Amino acid sequence: MPLRRIFAITSILFLAVLAVSPLKNALRPYRGFQRAFARLGAARAKSLQAAKTYQQQPVAIRQIWLPDFENRVDRCTTCHLGVQDASMAGAPEPFRLHPATYHTPKDSGRFGCTACHGGQGLATLEKDAHGDVADAESPMVPLKFIESGCGRCHSSEQVAGAATLSLGRATLERNGCYACHTVKGHEAFRSEAPPIEAVSLKTGAEALRRWLKDPKAVDANATMPRFQLSPSEVEELSNYVFSLTPGRTLADRVQAAAAEPTGDVAKGKALFAESRCISCHTLEGKGNGSAPELSKVASRASAGWLLAFIRDPHAFNSRTRMPQFNFSADDARHVVAYMESEFKDFDAPKEILDPLHVNQTLAEKGKVLFRQKGCFACHAPGVEVDRFGPALDGIGDKRAASLDFGKRTDIARTLPAWLEAKIKAPGSFQDGLKMPTFALSPKEAQAAVTALLSLGARPVPQPYRSAPTVRASLLPGGAVGALMDKYRCLSCHQIGDRGGDISTAPLTAEGSKVKRDWLVNYLVLSFTIRPILTDRMPVFRMSKDEAAQLAQAFETFYLDPRIPEDPYAGQPATSRDPVEGKRLYDTLGCRACHILGAGGGYYGPPLTEAGTRLKPGWTYAWLKGPQKWRADVRCPNYGLADADALRLTSYLDTLVKSSTASKAKRGGTR
Amino acid sequence: MNGNAFSFSQLGTLIRGSAVYRSIVRHGTAETNRNRSLVIFENLFLHVHPVKVREKTLKFSHTYWLGGITVSALVVLIATGILLMFYYHPSVPQAYRDMKELKFVVDNGVFYRNLHRWAAHLMVLGALLHMGRVFYHRAYRPPRQFNWVIGVVLLLVTLLLSYTGYLLPWDQLAFWGVSVGTNMAKEAPILGPPLRFLMLGGNIVSENALLRFYVLHCVLLPAALFGFLGVHIWRVRKDGGVQGPPEPPADDEVEP
Repeated sequence: MPLRRIFAITSILFLAVLAVSPLKNALRPYRGFQRAFARLGAARAKSLQAAKTYQQQPVAIRQIWLPDFENRVDRCTTCHLGVQDASMAGAPEPFRLHPATYHTPKDSGRFGCTACHGGQGLATLEKDAHGDVADAESPMVPLKFIESGCGRCHSSEQVAGAATLSLGRATLERNGCYACHTVKGHEAFRSEAPPIEAVSLKTGAEALRRWLKDPKAVDANATMPRFQLSPSEVEELSNYVFSLTPGRTLADRVQAAAAEPTGDVAKGKALFAESRCISCHTLEGKGNGSAPELSKVASRASAGWLLAFIRDPHAFNSRTRMPQFNFSADDARHVVAYMESEFKDFDAPKEILDPLHVNQTLAEKGKVLFRQKGCFACHAPGVEVDRFGPALDGIGDKRAASLDFGKRTDIARTLPAWLEAKIKAPGSFQDGLKMPTFALSPKEAQAAVTALLSLGARPVPQPYRSAPTVRASLLPGGAVGALMDKYRCLSCHQIGDRGGDISTAPLTAEGSKVKRDWLVNYLVLSFTIRPILTDRMPVFRMSKDEAAQLAQAFETFYLDPRIPEDPYAGQPATSRDPVEGKRLYDTLGCRACHILGAGGGYYGPPLTEAGTRLKPGWTYAWLKGPQKWRADVRCPNYGLADADALRLTSYLDTLVKSSTASKAKRGGTR
Repeated sequence: MNGNAFSFSQLGTLIRGSAVYRSIVRHGTAETNRNRSLVIFENLFLHVHPVKVREKTLKFSHTYWLGGITVSALVVLIATGILLMFYYHPSVPQAYRDMKELKFVVDNGVFYRNLHRWAAHLMVLGALLHMGRVFYHRAYRPPRQFNWVIGVVLLLVTLLLSYTGYLLPWDQLAFWGVSVGTNMAKEAPILGPPLRFLMLGGNIVSENALLRFYVLHCVLLPAALFGFLGVHIWRVRKDGGVQGPPEPPADDEVEP
């Protein structure tokens, strides 16, 4: 009977089909990996016992469960079995030992894998775990952007050990990304771009045109991006800029300055060098590069403006990072005379600084453009901030499927590829997009993408969050705050995690570190502290009163509770023993790097007057472990006992400035 | 075997003669027509079955076995559904994750989940074709008009089961499927908006909706289905068994 035969055959087929699933289950790839790992581990093991341990590991799914970290379950270690196994250094993937970072491999169990690497932690199949499938939910972060993972928890601007992330965050800030885009923590951002009204006092029509066309071509340090303006748009914007009336007082100042007699070029040259302008500016590419290139500045700014600006930069641009240099009236003239004679673009037409005769119709059109192109976001941020770019919070968790790739069919359809292309050439996605082109170097672009990828959609839970403790806004108030603002301390120095990276001396613990009298003298007349360096703080010509005020404030505000005020307190009296301290100084070989008296190395700061400069508490704390205070310092950690560290401290504290040799240090070591 | 003092047939006789066996199977073992009938009558699972089945109704083309296929799919659905319930939490942070767990960790998890899904498709398809078959075979006519109505209700319950199950994976497809579906319901005059509110337990597709759909899918709708299914199958028997293709009309019935 055919019906029965059909029934029999289909029954057998059905059983065969049912067997497929358990069979697939038994042949899951991770089982093979685990067996291979057992063989590899046994082969690499140093002892028979260790080899046995590898072979006895059961074949099973391994996972890292983090209940208080978004209930993450990372099963990566099911195949990547050697991440924490020291004997797997250099083993073939997927068994290799994880490279050493701050948290790995020792803390892998605390952070899991996907927190930094992305990917799907729940998965036990390679493709699903790594996200190598179309429209994967959370594909792995490419390794060149891996430091974005650090930034998920560490929200400070500078993250120790994450150079790329720190550079990226600095890049976003420096290029003014936060002027148009909202990002949490940067709501108070204001661009340093000059207010637009006073531009006509500074520059001429042709110079402005050249600038608008491509700022980076005019000044390699320019942070203003290129807006891809047509010649007619350049003309309209120029007309608008020149149609604005600058403030009366500024105009008068520039006019009066222009009428002053020219100064002495030779004196100006000496002053220019002495003032360390290239601590921030560059001259033909030499210098720090955080402020404009000066080699052709006299063809971009009028002499009157330069003079008035150097005398009082903050009147022209309250947000500039340039400090107040208290030049005398003559000195300022000398500096500008020097700049006028040397820093000219000799190929530029003579009339480059001539003003523009304003055409009202064009100026009206320019006004519209000024809004449309978003110039106002940096140049005229009003009281209420209109950040018209899309918010960037959570961009690091955006799905690739929700991104507009537009004309860019050439790039991988992933978020990092999209961000990288966008940051390099925003206009290439579609015509008429507002975002301008930032001429970032490949390294900066990579860093900026890393910083963007670190902006997750959800804040990480509390135990994992590492927020900066001190914010830059915690400048002291009142007169001291005004002084610190006047001299723009934060343009170069760091306080907490904020501030510039030009100075190597953060101010966070300055009050615990140096003696007040020394600081007053230093502020009045700064010098190079380490003989190997030529860079030093500029001389601001501040009055003794101002210096005293700042020094007192530093001693009050910028203290570190870990540094004792009196290190000898509670220690046996024998620990204050300068003689024994001197013996220690000699035997430890401090002389190799430090000058003391007649001899010594040039690498570290001279210690001839260590007792004048440093507080004993700091010296002691430093000797107990220099790397605790500055991670990159070369001073070796001798692991000194408390008593020995104190003896050495007491010796160094006796080294005070002899009153006769007081003038020896002037002017650095150039 | 015959040489053994204790053969299998003897063992069978012994068991069938025992008090325990007699208490379970009341009728005797004699091969009589009465006993054959009693086998059907006295069995809980078979009693809805006709005692006598005409051979032609067993032919495939008689019913295409569509009702049977639908019920078989239901059996598979119950079995796999119960297994899935061991792993599934109807909550927003867990639901989708449980799908992943089924895929990546649970032994044969993908198989059970896919079996449930395909059986659900088969059940809907089977029920629809079954209704079509009944319609074209004119089996909705008296005396089966009541069972036709029950059948329509069963089809609706089946569709609702399928729809409520659709939300449970809590993925994008589910979310938008249910968003669109409930918005369609909202467009009904007067009753629409409150109906949508009732279905979702709120105004958006959220965890309330997930919980409601879960309860509907696993408790209320299956209960309704079993009730109506019992009546349906019982009525098939009471209305004279399955009706295949209608007999060609007798000569005197043909209109001139």
